[in-house]
Amino acid sequence: MFKFYPKSFMSTVLIAASTSTIAFAAQEGVSNTYENGKRVIDGGVMYPVVNGKTSAYHINEETLKGGYTYGKKATDNEIKAWDIDVMPDGTGLPEGSGTVEEGDEVYEAKCVSCHGDFGSGSGMYPSLAKGNAEEGVASLTHQRVNPDADGPIRVFGTYWPQASTLWWYIKTGMPHAAPMSLTDDEVYALCAYMLSINEITIDGEELDDEYELDREKFLKIRMPNKDGFVPNIDGPKGTDNVREYFSNPKNYGAATTRCMKDCFEGEPVLARIQTEINDFSPPLSTARELPKTDASAAPVSEGAKIYEASCAVCHATDAMGAPALGDKKAWEAVLKKGIDTVYNNAMMGINAMPPKGGNANLTDDQLKATVDYMIDQSK
Amino acid sequence: MNKTTKISENDLMNAQETTERSSRRDFFKKTAAYSVSALAAASVLSPVKVNASDDPAIIEEQPWATALGDPVTKNQYGVPSLYEHNNIRRTSNLLSSGNWQASISMCPIHESEGIITPNGLFFNRVHGGVAHIDPNKHRLMIHGLVEKPIVLTMDQLKRYPSVTRIHFIECPANGGPEWRGPQFNSLQFAKGMMSSAQWTGVYIKTILKDLGLKPEAQWMLAEGGDSSHMGRTVPIDKVLDDAMIVWGQNGEALRPEQGYPIRLLLPGWEGNLCVKWLCRLEFASEPFYAKEETAKYTALKPDGKAIQHFYPLEVNSVITNPCPEKPWTDLKKGDLVEISGLAWSGQGTIEGVDISFDGGKNWVEASLNGLVLPKSWTRFSYLYKYEGKPLLLSSRARDDAGYVQPSVKQEREVMGVESVYHRNAIATWEVTEKGEVNNVQILS
Repeated sequence: MFKFYPKSFMSTVLIAASTSTIAFAAQEGVSNTYENGKRVIDGGVMYPVVNGKTSAYHINEETLKGGYTYGKKATDNEIKAWDIDVMPDGTGLPEGSGTVEEGDEVYEAKCVSCHGDFGSGSGMYPSLAKGNAEEGVASLTHQRVNPDADGPIRVFGTYWPQASTLWWYIKTGMPHAAPMSLTDDEVYALCAYMLSINEITIDGEELDDEYELDREKFLKIRMPNKDGFVPNIDGPKGTDNVREYFSNPKNYGAATTRCMKDCFEGEPVLARIQTEINDFSPPLSTARELPKTDASAAPVSEGAKIYEASCAVCHATDAMGAPALGDKKAWEAVLKKGIDTVYNNAMMGINAMPPKGGNANLTDDQLKATVDYMIDQSK
Repeated sequence: MNKTTKISENDLMNAQETTERSSRRDFFKKTAAYSVSALAAASVLSPVKVNASDDPAIIEEQPWATALGDPVTKNQYGVPSLYEHNNIRRTSNLLSSGNWQASISMCPIHESEGIITPNGLFFNRVHGGVAHIDPNKHRLMIHGLVEKPIVLTMDQLKRYPSVTRIHFIECPANGGPEWRGPQFNSLQFAKGMMSSAQWTGVYIKTILKDLGLKPEAQWMLAEGGDSSHMGRTVPIDKVLDDAMIVWGQNGEALRPEQGYPIRLLLPGWEGNLCVKWLCRLEFASEPFYAKEETAKYTALKPDGKAIQHFYPLEVNSVITNPCPEKPWTDLKKGDLVEISGLAWSGQGTIEGVDISFDGGKNWVEASLNGLVLPKSWTRFSYLYKYEGKPLLLSSRARDDAGYVQPSVKQEREVMGVESVYHRNAIATWEVTEKGEVNNVQILS
């Protein structure tokens, strides 16, 4: 009923006498095809129900037959409210428009603090552009085998296969601390800005400041690395292409031979840690001892809550250049300016930090409480 | 001698209780006897001459043995011993993405026992912080290419017949920082982007039976209801095989970090595909191209092409004892010691594990240990006579789909060093003469 592997379905090249190719043992209850005869899509096996069991698990086969009437029919309004994805063919992409210049303004107000000037990136936050995207695609063959080598450029323009992903992601995921807050026009404007800083053209046209992106033009965008991905998942053969790709272990580095003796010549070539990373928090320890400090939980203050919701995005680490929570030295330096200046800077913004950290809804008292909390945590 | 003293004291207590059992003044006398014996325990003992070979842990009376412990009313939800406070998840700035709300905390797998991770230690990867969802307001919508689009409350969802399965979940970036060489002298950081649990939920195929899935449906979008609104595209083949919507984790509700009240579970596949805080499943004929399946979670190969929709975590293993955190520095020559570790495959069931003492030149077969289940952590064991010599200790697993773990060299030949994801090459520990353990890679 289920098709099992032929004895050695994979490469049977024997490297040495002590090397064996693993052949699938045709056990009952294990199959490399589904019930419809198709190969398991990920190159692995599945466990059909045989005699009331799937692998080691018993199962009540009656439960798999359906007949359940739970839930209610989803209404059109409910589906509309939740169906937020945007597909390459334009499904889910609303009408709207925005210019590169308008995008620049939104970017300066809501994005630059994390993504840097012109999408250059900052700290651990991703860069959005690195020069001309068409030219950058060539970097994708770079391999940093040597420490000094340049790596592949994997920014929006050089890597992403579809522009629809950008619209969808900005609308539903950005700004990081306030997703779903941008209007459709703002998203179009930001997309226009993103295309512009990546020097991507639409229908051969460069996107200058006045260029207005709308739905029709958006659907004409062709991303420079559209053909940079395997297997091909588009069209009616999409899932079959995936199936075929993963049925060949050579495509993704899987091995099928088991060598037991003299598996390589000479002494093993050893790579040791060159630059050790050990900034672990908390530091490693396997000691069985009482904790040094009693972590009796203090009630969570309003300042702490606001900090977690609005400030931690930049102040949790020093990666953004902001004084990190708990960094005694950094906060001592800040406090040298005097507490009033610190409050004022939080109110008005300083360096990359927007006014009130970008959360305009905070009252002065809330903001002060938050600043006090951060200072208190950094003593 | 001390032992005799102790027995005498116990005998005394027993004698007191026996003689007083029938007394009408039982209660008062007993109370008095208990109090006196508790206060005077040390002084009751006759003086003991302690020798250097005597273990003070045995000789000395311990406070927990001479006073009452906590009442059962304390900690209505239990917590680990305070002495275990170092067995915790840990983070590194390298993996922070700039903040701790789009980040990962690593599971202390060097302290893991068996094949189940306690819920509080399960590795935690989030893209927009840990959401705290009110289950009364949470809904699951199933729509798209189905005849009958539906919405389920959590109570309704849990009415479906449930199945319970043990599966690991692994972030495909586990080990990813070490494509170009070892970086962490720590098992927790080298391989801790994974954990394992016993999950309870419903097969999606069970629900679909009554919804009228249309034949042109090839893909399913799974989307989370947290602030990241993360979506991933899943091929219908997996949905109709073993994909589950789970609400139970090791016998209790999912933890918020794992997507409370529900998450998607695709056994053996990328942790990122197992969308947390699941709120929507949409069926379509074309793939969705979500951000986390294009910009990220794609594996760049040396020819400049990237593998997309790279679902399964391939066969893998690591020796957890010894490891950098659990060295052999306390062993002496001639000691018998168990080499043990974890093997797992997202493509099937572990068939066996080999051990090498010379960096992978020669191998011997280890035993599997305990339950051996599909797409599950599997323990292995090898008994070794410690000789105080330097070793290059490696493990290599194989599964019932026919795959064997590749060497670093074999894997690099196909994938290069820029793939980021799906690194499953053989891991090696260098054991020094002193029994210290270091993370190394063998390039032969």
